[in-house]
Amino acid sequence: MSTQLSLEQRLEEIRLTRRVRWILYGFLSLCFISAFYGSLLLIQFSVVDLYNQLPVFAERITNYTPNWMFILERNLPRESVITLAVGFAGTVIGLPLALLLGVLGSSRVTPFPLNFLFRGVMGVFRAIPSLVWFLMFIPLAGLSAVTATIAVVVSTIGNLGRLFTDELEEVEEGQIEAMKTTGASKGQTVVFGMISQVKTSFIAWTLYIFEVNVRTAVTLGLLGGSGIGEIIQVQQGLRAYGNMMAGIVVVLFLILAVEIISQRFRSYLRDDEETSGLVALLVGLPQRMVESALK
Amino acid sequence: MSAIRVENLTKRFGETVALDDVSFEIEAGEFTVVLGISGSGKSTLLRCVNGLTAPTSGRVVVDGDPVTSHRDDVAMVFQQHNILDGTSAYSNALSGALGRTNFLRSLLRFNDREDKLQALEALDMVGLLDEASQRAGRMSGGQQQRVGIARALVQNPQILLADEPVASLDPGSSQTVMRYLRGAAEERGLTAMISLHQVNLARQFGERFIGLADGRVVFDGYREDLTFDVIDDLYGGIDMEGFLSGNETDATVVQ
Repeated sequence: MSTQLSLEQRLEEIRLTRRVRWILYGFLSLCFISAFYGSLLLIQFSVVDLYNQLPVFAERITNYTPNWMFILERNLPRESVITLAVGFAGTVIGLPLALLLGVLGSSRVTPFPLNFLFRGVMGVFRAIPSLVWFLMFIPLAGLSAVTATIAVVVSTIGNLGRLFTDELEEVEEGQIEAMKTTGASKGQTVVFGMISQVKTSFIAWTLYIFEVNVRTAVTLGLLGGSGIGEIIQVQQGLRAYGNMMAGIVVVLFLILAVEIISQRFRSYLRDDEETSGLVALLVGLPQRMVESALK
Repeated sequence: MSAIRVENLTKRFGETVALDDVSFEIEAGEFTVVLGISGSGKSTLLRCVNGLTAPTSGRVVVDGDPVTSHRDDVAMVFQQHNILDGTSAYSNALSGALGRTNFLRSLLRFNDREDKLQALEALDMVGLLDEASQRAGRMSGGQQQRVGIARALVQNPQILLADEPVASLDPGSSQTVMRYLRGAAEERGLTAMISLHQVNLARQFGERFIGLADGRVVFDGYREDLTFDVIDDLYGGIDMEGFLSGNETDATVVQ
């Protein structure tokens, strides 16, 4: 009889907590909906207006057919290589500095209050978007690819450095201790005990940041940082939408190519097929392509 | 002069007393096994000898000098191996030479030819010469531990410490690892201090024994002194005869 009662009590408790939870969910949903509705009002979003505008849009979109000839006329592949170069050079220059600040920012390397000095610097680099860095460095190198590269370098230090710091916080103490016991110096302990543990993820993050940097380089081109982005910007200004679309298609190919190559590398790192090696990977490429085509 | 002299060593972690006024001396070339249950202070003792842990009071004197920080003539083999998974067995062995290689040279892997040969020699000594270029992370637990021993040997230590080197290994690998440890210590004339909780392995390989319980030395003697009674004291009420004969009559769980 007593167990029956306690079961009843327990059921009542559960019902009560459930009811409280439902009221809470209801309240949260209400907040969410009103925030969304407020946002739509603020940006004056109207489905009716968009619908009314549709015929005009359909008429104009025909002007947006890519002008394929423009790709060769203006040598867009060369321009996209400039954009690629901005992203690549920016990553390469930023990498050692990101490594330095990232390692020094880790509390495992630099004692607690001091490491926030380095984290702070990276935080500032990150907080200001690369577009703004570009605008700030125009007095230094003008509206040029150099300025775009500098902007990419700064954002690489901020973003990649932060990823390095986070990665280093996760390393295991054991290997660090093992290196200490061999009589290794502080620097050797950091390199062999810590960085060797996160080597592959460092490379993977660098490749990821390279991808991001190529996209950033396109955007900086729109501001005058040369390369394919600038072509798109100029053609848009000239209302030569066909030419602009040709540029956008080239960008699409550029970004896709960079991502495919980078992801290929990263999955290769993840599998850590050290035995098969890079040469075997390249040699095996045609074979794998045939295999996947036949599937 | 003794190789290791532990003088009134006490270590507290907050309220917990890990080592309580521990004193003993170990002669050069002795192969000493430290026995005791988990939490008896074995690891703390070894870490104090190595300078990885600073004692609360008392001191450890190695080769005439008080231990203040880790020194490269004291090598350590860890329970969790602590080898660098991402690199080869050879690179791991070579990392034992870090203490005598300057930063830039070690970074660029410009090690002395002698050190490189020594790394291979150490791998040979633990029977892993053919696996030298294999990635350490892909090796079995026993092999990884032997890489750890090779690394310790490349350090050219006077003293070899091992903190439960076989705790995570199967019985077969445990025997192999212990055999290599003992063999290396004998061949190089090293003073060794190995903590173990496998009584059978301890009896098989140990020369001298130090028993710890609740951070105190409760036994210090040689093989002939290590009787069943002593072990029973150390490990508190395990059924030694049943344990050794494999008799299962008392193995029923009583609640």
